[in-house]
Amino acid sequence: MRIPCPYCGARDASEFAYLGDATLTRPDPAAPDAADAFHAYVYLRDNPAGAHSEWWYHAGGCRRWVKVARDTTTHAIAGAELAEGAR
Amino acid sequence: MTAALDILPVTQMPADGPYGPAGTHGVTARLFDPPALATLAARRGGGIALAAAARVELGLDLADAPRLSRADGLSAIGTAPGRWLLLAGTEGDLAARLAPLAPHAAITEQTDAYVGVEIDGPHARDLLAKGVSLDLDPAAFPPGAAATTNVAHVNVSFWREPGEDRFVFLVARSYRVAFARFLVASGAEYGLELVHRG
Repeated sequence: MRIPCPYCGARDASEFAYLGDATLTRPDPAAPDAADAFHAYVYLRDNPAGAHSEWWYHAGGCRRWVKVARDTTTHAIAGAELAEGAR
Repeated sequence: MTAALDILPVTQMPADGPYGPAGTHGVTARLFDPPALATLAARRGGGIALAAAARVELGLDLADAPRLSRADGLSAIGTAPGRWLLLAGTEGDLAARLAPLAPHAAITEQTDAYVGVEIDGPHARDLLAKGVSLDLDPAAFPPGAAATTNVAHVNVSFWREPGEDRFVFLVARSYRVAFARFLVASGAEYGLELVHRG
């Protein structure tokens, strides 16, 4: 699988480290249900078959976090953007 | 052909000289100590001011891309967004030369951190194809193109020299022996000349 790093260009997946789901938002630690919200944020993951948004770290190249839109069933990558510009 | 590596301790630099069948000479690899080297990291939001200062003070075009730009013996190699390696072609006070950029960037001395390796010859790309997972055809990787990647598990930054069919690699100093072993093991079949330059 090759990941299109926005800075470096298409690179082999072995240059990247995988972090996982890029759709999560860190909960408010001051909220009354913070303990449950953080449990879900840290541990609970969907396992989607199909389109997914994920973080990959380009450890072997520009050392930037990249947000990648990947289909988990085909590995087809629809797009990638640097974390600095994402969200 | 690379039996020499079998008896050489993995921590010891292969000796200068020819490797491979007698009478063949397909690749030359020259190891050298960069005269002066520094990293340049633009301050947050300061990329445009930094590029302007580099243009005015040094005549250097700091392309925010994996490319080589060079002015007056100073080479800038893009390694990440807003980051460059700066390599001086001759010894001198690089810190003083870069001082005008200091308001716009973090500048960190790196001279002893890397060794350089120049690789050329008719089979240079055949050797590199064994370790570099990028397309190095001139159409895809033209003169002045640069990349940071892993070669034989060693992280490197390298570029293709303008005007010559030559690649220059910067390798972390502590990995220079491992990288030289990769060169010998991969280049011997084409006839490799390993040289330590000045």
